[in-house]
Amino acid sequence: MIGSTPEATGQAERSWTLSFTVNGQRHELAIHPERTLLEVLREDLHLTGTKGACLEGECGSCIVLVDGVPQNSCLILAPQMEGREVVTIEGLADGTVLDPVQRAFVDNGAVQCGFCTPGVVLSTKALLATNPHPTYDEVRRGLEGNICRCTGYMKVLGAAMAAASAEGPGVADASPEDRPRP
Amino acid sequence: MFHRPSTLTEALELKSRLKDKGVFLAGGTDLVVGVAKGRLAVEHWIDLSGVPGLSYVREEREELAIGPLATHAMLERSAFAPALAQAARTVGGPAIRNRGTIAGNLGTASPAGDVSVALLALDATLTLVRSQGSRAVPIRDFFVGPGKTRIAPDEMIQEVRIRRPADSAFLKLGKRQSVAIALVSAAAVRQSDGRVAIALGSVAPVPLRAAQTEAHLAIAGLAPDAIREAAGLVSAEVKPIDDHRASADYRRALSGVLVRRLLEQLAAASSNHESAAPV
Ligand SMILES: Cc1cc2nc3c(=O)[nH]c(=O)nc-3n(C[C@H](O)[C@H](O)[C@H](O)COP(=O)(O)OP(=O)(O)OC[C@H]3O[C@@H](n4cnc5c(N)ncnc54)[C@H](O)[C@@H]3O)c2cc1C
Ligand code: FES
Ligand code: FES
Repeated sequence: MIGSTPEATGQAERSWTLSFTVNGQRHELAIHPERTLLEVLREDLHLTGTKGACLEGECGSCIVLVDGVPQNSCLILAPQMEGREVVTIEGLADGTVLDPVQRAFVDNGAVQCGFCTPGVVLSTKALLATNPHPTYDEVRRGLEGNICRCTGYMKVLGAAMAAASAEGPGVADASPEDRPRP
Repeated sequence: MFHRPSTLTEALELKSRLKDKGVFLAGGTDLVVGVAKGRLAVEHWIDLSGVPGLSYVREEREELAIGPLATHAMLERSAFAPALAQAARTVGGPAIRNRGTIAGNLGTASPAGDVSVALLALDATLTLVRSQGSRAVPIRDFFVGPGKTRIAPDEMIQEVRIRRPADSAFLKLGKRQSVAIALVSAAAVRQSDGRVAIALGSVAPVPLRAAQTEAHLAIAGLAPDAIREAAGLVSAEVKPIDDHRASADYRRALSGVLVRRLLEQLAAASSNHESAAPV
């Protein structure tokens, strides 16, 4: 049930069948229908990159892409995802090749504890998909639903701006030292 | 129990059977939070996400027809009535706007519902539907109290309609620029016949129409003196309370400031419009 642990509900009543796509892969799951998408991603699919913090839509750490647009997975009841395509942070990198947005966050020192990072990266990804060359103000507005306790935001905003100007595909993650620094 | 009807007929049949025990689930940004925080318990969910055709924003000549599952993100992109787009733009952050819906904002009936305040100033008409048929309710009659509306236990919001205003604007002040509930919000609308409507949020148990201020403007127009007087009138007309976010006095003062700024915007736009018109 919403907000409680799987042990508490025993997941006893897996009375609902959910078919949806996560990171390009089709899943058919037997679930308790009152579990949130966040809980199903983390506990049933073991995709723990998506984080839960406030569980009330305020912080953005649980943001995933649903049919390409960012949404708070803590506010979605899993059966609402029937037939939808969900992308989590695990779905961005191609093997060891990071997505350009991830690359920009690494290169710009925009990650500290990392708890907010999956949500921030996916919000940035969605922003750039509709607006590839945002102004600084548009980036601030695009990330207004993501709270970060660590970085003070300047590095995050810088990384998002850098991602917007980054061209071409991601670069192999094997030797980040070799990458030119901005 | 979780129900996921695949047609409107099925959704309405469930609701008429379950009445108050059945709760429509739209974006869940109010409901799921309420349940997660233990503020509310839902016996039967009636999820609308499987019913096709409920998510649209459609211009029909001089009217805008809005489906119940239209999201704030969709409203934000519509140029039909600036007050509505501006109000939707201030709801939460982008991810909340991609989920929260117009019917959910109305259904929650919060005195701080931003989109509800804009719709009240725009004199929206709501279509409420049940298995046996539908009825139109003017938004003025819709809100009864915090969380309380005129929706009967077997009804759902099927559509929201507004007429094209000559001009309109919305302003909100929260504790910060983003993801903040309104300390006070206000919308002003100039209809094509010149009549000015004003609605405010977070200053009464329900979104409030400033009837006395409107009556003053109907006579005095939008001259600078008239606007100053309107700001004073609206501060006296609102009925805010003290709470942990702001004092009633502060909200009164804010109401006057926001309404003055809105009216100045409308006045400037209408004088530009007149001077741009061919002689
Ligand atoms: C982090 C956060 C920030 C927010 N910021 C704002 C803000 O700045 N301004 C603001 O106004 N709101 C804000 N909200 C509240 C919320 O997003 C809105 O009120 C939203 O519009 C609710 O829509 P929903 O689809 O999510 O509703 P739901 O939670 O699905 O439903 C809300 C209520 O409406 C009823 N309902 C839904 N659809 C229908 C229908 N078709 N017919 C009849 N009843 C129906 C439900 O039964 C329920 O009672 C915020 C919420 C969060 C979590
Ligand atoms: S955990 Fe979902 S927004 Fe904070
Ligand atoms: S890096 Fe720690 S919360 Fe953002």
